Amino acid sequence: MYYDMHVHSAFSEGESSLEEIATQAKMLGYSGICFAEYFKGKQKMLELKEEIAKVSEKARIKIFLGFEARNSNELKRLVALRREYDVLLVRGYDTKLNRLAVETPEVDILTHPEYERKDSGLNHVLVKEAAKNNVSIEINFRNILINSKNSRSAVLSHITHNVMLCKKFKAPVIICSGAISHWQLRDPKIMISFAKLVGLDLHEAKLSLSEAPKRIINQIDERKSRKWIMPGVKEL
Amino acid sequence: MDNARGEGVMKLKTLPPSLREKHRYIAIKIISESPVEYSDLENAIWNTMLDFLGEYGVAKTDFWIIKERWVKNDQTCVVRCNHLSVQDVLASLGLVTRLGDSRIAVKILKISGTLKGLNKK
Repeated sequence: MYYDMHVHSAFSEGESSLEEIATQAKMLGYSGICFAEYFKGKQKMLELKEEIAKVSEKARIKIFLGFEARNSNELKRLVALRREYDVLLVRGYDTKLNRLAVETPEVDILTHPEYERKDSGLNHVLVKEAAKNNVSIEINFRNILINSKNSRSAVLSHITHNVMLCKKFKAPVIICSGAISHWQLRDPKIMISFAKLVGLDLHEAKLSLSEAPKRIINQIDERKSRKWIMPGVKEL
Repeated sequence: MDNARGEGVMKLKTLPPSLREKHRYIAIKIISESPVEYSDLENAIWNTMLDFLGEYGVAKTDFWIIKERWVKNDQTCVVRCNHLSVQDVLASLGLVTRLGDSRIAVKILKISGTLKGLNKK
């Protein structure tokens, strides 16, 4: 049971339609995917939800709806609407936003903290916070795929550094494709081998593609039940 | 068999199993926009491997593409490496993005210790 929790469709910055991505993911052997789109208002969100339900039935694959916050204002709005969608991701790259993401328990995934940076974007303080608030740190495959030569080696070294910190402070690690086209999706076995390459054990690498997303998915159901009030608080 | 100098060529005795390299055969399927040719595939895989792992890295993987197992209709092929470097080879296969004008993705069908094992279900 493998899940890819970070894919962009044509709704935000992607090139491929929902259906193309869902079909390709199913063929490659994924059990579920999560579309991480940019927030464009409540009305658009409802339309997207309907479309996803249709595609999910047609392609026979579980599809989750996530939103990726690009700045602190967006994050605030998305946190307020937390019950309406499945997964909350934060687009890492800015130091302040990285910090804000790991300090917010509503956030599920901090995506590519090392994106377009000269350092890895995380340190021991941030990773400790991530472990405390259960925010998964993402290994972004597209970041490796689209770069080449020296920039790719820099990205790999930053990711390796982040993984080392996550292992040390027991912060959850998740590997996602971050694809913006269905041609950037890769076989789960290939994703696992990448996770191993950047410093996880083979077993941990497998968990980062199966158990880590599963934990986020279990939280979705919990959050949708009426007893849920906020992270860590629920009616008994 | 004679060589150019007319001397008989001595054939090497086959290594005992314990001294042979432990191979892994990886069956792959190419998913692409349009059907691909074997020569393009071979070039793309070798170039990506050399770029990503380097000459020394590829030497350690004992990598080979088995031409006889290329099936044009199914777009499937078999590559070989040693048992210690399967993850490195899989990662490199994931970085092959283009063959000429067509975008591709590689699907891993099966990994086995023998070629015969790839046919078993």
